[in-house]
Amino acid sequence: MKEGEDRREGTVTRRGFCQAAGLSACALATGGAAAVSADFLRPRVLFEPATTFTVGPPDAIGPGAVLDFPAYRAFVIRLPDGFRALSSVCTHLGCITRRDPDVNLIACPCHGSRFTLDGDVQSGPAPGPLRWLQMALSEKGEIIVDTAAEVPQGTVFKF
Amino acid sequence: MDVLRALTENRLWRSVVRHGVRGTNRNRVMLVMENIFLHLHSAKVRRRSLEISSTYYLGGISLTLFAILTITGLMLMLYYHPSVPQAYDDMKELQFVVSNGVFLRNMHRWAAHAMVLAVFFHMLRVFYHKAYRPPREFNWVVGVVLLLLTLLLSYTGYLLPWDQLAFWGVSVGTNMVKAMPVLGPAFRFLLLGGNIVGENALLRFYVLHCVFLPLALVLGVAVHLWRVRKDGGIAGSSGLRRADAGKIP
Amino acid sequence: MSQFRLEKNNDARAVPRRIALIRREAPARLLEGREEVRMAAPHLLVREVILIQICVVVLAVASLLFDAPLEGIADPSNTPNPAKAPWYFLGLQELLHYFPPIVAGVLLPALAIIGVVVIPYFRINVEAVGFYERPWRRSLAILGAVTAPVSVLLVAYRVWAVLVPTLLIFSLLALPAVPRCPGAWRRRLSRVPLSDWIMTWFVAVASILTLIGIFFRGPGWTWTWPWRDGIF
Repeated sequence: MKEGEDRREGTVTRRGFCQAAGLSACALATGGAAAVSADFLRPRVLFEPATTFTVGPPDAIGPGAVLDFPAYRAFVIRLPDGFRALSSVCTHLGCITRRDPDVNLIACPCHGSRFTLDGDVQSGPAPGPLRWLQMALSEKGEIIVDTAAEVPQGTVFKF
Repeated sequence: MDVLRALTENRLWRSVVRHGVRGTNRNRVMLVMENIFLHLHSAKVRRRSLEISSTYYLGGISLTLFAILTITGLMLMLYYHPSVPQAYDDMKELQFVVSNGVFLRNMHRWAAHAMVLAVFFHMLRVFYHKAYRPPREFNWVVGVVLLLLTLLLSYTGYLLPWDQLAFWGVSVGTNMVKAMPVLGPAFRFLLLGGNIVGENALLRFYVLHCVFLPLALVLGVAVHLWRVRKDGGIAGSSGLRRADAGKIP
Repeated sequence: MSQFRLEKNNDARAVPRRIALIRREAPARLLEGREEVRMAAPHLLVREVILIQICVVVLAVASLLFDAPLEGIADPSNTPNPAKAPWYFLGLQELLHYFPPIVAGVLLPALAIIGVVVIPYFRINVEAVGFYERPWRRSLAILGAVTAPVSVLLVAYRVWAVLVPTLLIFSLLALPAVPRCPGAWRRRLSRVPLSDWIMTWFVAVASILTLIGIFFRGPGWTWTWPWRDGIF
């Protein structure tokens, strides 16, 4: 702004207006490009494995059985009170836990967390219990587990 | 000597290199100033900064390793498809079919590990020599960014062989990102291009590793070296090491 | 800030007594004499070429001797035991074994990076004054007051791998304050500035955690001895 220019409080010079308009246009274009790019980077269709799987008829699972389905990252467990499905994805950093039959616990190989068959953390750095999963009976009378649907801890299914 | 003279005293040579090869100081200065690859150097350097103990040549080692990584990486790209399970098959092909494939992969791998070490030691050297002092504050920040870029480059490359080591190393790492509050899960989704480490993640890591991060690193190194010159050359130990304190004045 | 020109003259006959006063925070630039510079063209370039040659030769020999690891094809349903990250992240993974992910995976690394970035801006150690070369009793008391609860926290989480270097570095730092400290040790230790102590502590903790992650962790992230059980 040149000295001595006739400028009162609150007036807008032509140069100031053009500068503001130009800068706003640049900001708008940058923001728009960023938004469009972020949208582009987010895939809309995912070709990932199905989240439901069939276990089989309830009678085929004996009392006390702990079945491991590593391909679907889930355990199906039958205890005297009924059936339960636990996610086998460790709540710490997503490693796949395995059952340790010697101590009847579920153990994570990555950072050494151990879980009971209720999913509770027995030891190790895991911040929370294993997720409990939705179970249902199909029309053919087979148990179906949905690894994407979580149910409150302690939800036991009876078939 | 006659051969050398014949080679260097004709119009073709002079059109490329405008000065002669005789060992005059003028020619030595011209060699540095007139050459795009050498002009990042100053024509003269302090004797002190040539000593090993003033830099341990750690920046130079890092840059050399990056050059080796670029060359071996470009060659490995010719036999690599970033898709599942072709990526792993390509590793086997490099191992058993491609001539010198194992050697190139070894070289790329060990150079990558060495570069992480060299850049880290470079940072320690600069810290203990207090070479980050004004006016070099900004270059220190650029250096920290370069260290992070080096780690990211090494880490994105870690997934590409698509073996168990790669898959679980990256699974654990990206779940660490998820622990970040608010933005974590969304950022992980963008990074992997999905919820799991799968085909999309491999392709994204490939693009990051081969194009985006190297370009960012080259840009950063350009700024870094430029600032070294502009801030008065390398700060070996800024001339004020304790051991020297008694000698200088 | 007043600038001083520092001229260097090693000719004892021309300048029998030499003295210069420099403010410690002044950016010390040595205006060196003519004999102190070398032409870049032969001297620096030759060193660079040798450096490149050494790097290439060492890497080539290493590549001929040691093969890069390659395990079985990635299997999302089967986590290898133990599942280790690349070596430069094993320090973090070791921390993750002790603390929840938000602390070990995000908070501590972010703090470390921020701490490193701000070093030159907070004028940290610009003067390079040793810890004991200025009034130190209050600083030592504050440091002790910080170290004590941190140590208690580390004991509570049973993080011996961090506790041991922390206490070791702190005792080295506090050693010159002990009246019976040997003179040579006191002279050497009292000149080390506080920022160097902190960086040394950081490097010691990071390397110990990384080394433990590389060599001393086996299946289920349990403690193993590399000479007895091998390296996992």
